[in-house]
Amino acid sequence: MGENKKKRYGMVIDLRRCVGCMSCQVTCKVENNVPFDDFRARVNIAERGTYPDVKRFFLPTLCNHCEEPPCVEVCPVGASYKREDGVVLVHEDRCIGCGYCIEACPYNARYLDPNLHVAQKCTFCVERIDNGLPPACVHNCMGKARIFGDLNDPESEVSKLLNSVPTEVLKPEMGTHPNVFYIMADFNGAVKKEG
Amino acid sequence: MDLNVLVQAVNPSPWKVFIPLYFYFTGLSAGSFILSSLSTVFGIKKFKPLALPSAVAALVLLVLAPVMLIADLGQPLRFLNVLNPAYFNPTSPISYGSWLLTFYPIATLIYIWLMVKGGASFSGKYAAQAAAQVAGTSEGDLASPADKKLKIMGMITIPLAVSVHAYTGFVFGVVKAKALWNTALMPGYFLTSAILSGVGLLVLVYLVLSKRRQATPDPVLLQSLANMMIGIIVLDLFWVISMWLVLGMGTEAARIAVRLELHDPLYLLGEIGAGMLVPLLILVPKRLKTKPGWLAVASVLVLFGVFIMRYSLVFTGVEASNLVSFF
Repeated sequence: MGENKKKRYGMVIDLRRCVGCMSCQVTCKVENNVPFDDFRARVNIAERGTYPDVKRFFLPTLCNHCEEPPCVEVCPVGASYKREDGVVLVHEDRCIGCGYCIEACPYNARYLDPNLHVAQKCTFCVERIDNGLPPACVHNCMGKARIFGDLNDPESEVSKLLNSVPTEVLKPEMGTHPNVFYIMADFNGAVKKEG
Repeated sequence: MDLNVLVQAVNPSPWKVFIPLYFYFTGLSAGSFILSSLSTVFGIKKFKPLALPSAVAALVLLVLAPVMLIADLGQPLRFLNVLNPAYFNPTSPISYGSWLLTFYPIATLIYIWLMVKGGASFSGKYAAQAAAQVAGTSEGDLASPADKKLKIMGMITIPLAVSVHAYTGFVFGVVKAKALWNTALMPGYFLTSAILSGVGLLVLVYLVLSKRRQATPDPVLLQSLANMMIGIIVLDLFWVISMWLVLGMGTEAARIAVRLELHDPLYLLGEIGAGMLVPLLILVPKRLKTKPGWLAVASVLVLFGVFIMRYSLVFTGVEASNLVSFF
């Protein structure tokens, strides 16, 4: 059954394991030649709660490769598209650089490349995954907080995690149905301890 | 919940001042065209002296508008991609808007040609005679075949003019990532302020044309233009206050957006003050409204205010979304 089934790539980010080393952010910049001002993968830092019940946490983000991607919906020339396996990509030779997709992304995951003058974004390192390698940020995550795989394959590590551990997505109210899931983002939010 | 974002790297917004300029010019164009159609399609004869100048203004501004849009592209030479039927994306307002931007100037050109060919009564040179026709209401020259053709062409072009500007409202309205933009009021707000700026522009054009011909501007026409401005400004204020109230009670992102707007001196003094309240103060008292000089001042202020509306909407919307966490 699993053999000829369509692939659907996704990622699970385990915040229990993220130590905030920023290696995903740096690796991504090196691997994908990301310009100085822009980011595909990044590590956000936030704190929640009021003293003394405060928690500071790291929240790595990247393109969510949404099931209903707003960037693809608004692209006037169909340059942004969703591949069969769920990866959201940009036709670099078709993009006119209008920037509409960049404004339409609720996750600020896109940028206008100052050298190519077209919209650019996280591709899940498409040239690596097509050759059976994990994305660069996953490969270099020292805490193994980023787990990448096929969500349609019940034997993959991501599927097993999704089936056994509660997960969340970012901005679910946007109705974008992200394919990047977070473990324990809720815990980082709910820090109030009673008694 | 208290959430303090300590580090959040922001990918910068690519939109520059060309975007609000583009919306401004399409708005002016659509507004001018609707003014032109008042006499040719709806048969309100007192607007007849404006028919040709406003149609020409509509065409010139609509040639200027896409230039702004193309100037903002990362790949300006690829602008033809939006007109490639194979790349058409029905869910993208820019995609169908580009087709409207192509058909609307063509329709306006035919409309102007019909008007010029149709006879002298529409040409601005005979503005005085046309104004005189206002008094003698039973002129009946709209029944001539040339005018009928013009009326039909106008009827075809009005929906194009309306949608060419309303679509820019949808460009913003469909973006759910920006709380300030994501409202169904946006196309209406854009359209009314477009007509407002069109009236403002045409008041100035009419006054300049009258001055050059050393003719006294028709007081009835100026009066009704002033009344139109009052009505649309009140409608615009209604949109604005509706947005404050609804966004102010909305999600966190919406509240941040409206708070940012209400703390922005450019928005408060430029759009609300100089663009709406001061023109109202000039236009409402009868004493000032009848003076062409004051009317011109109100028109300049209105033109300025509508541009500030476009400008502040684009950049406050972007800034507000950057203040909310992306996660």
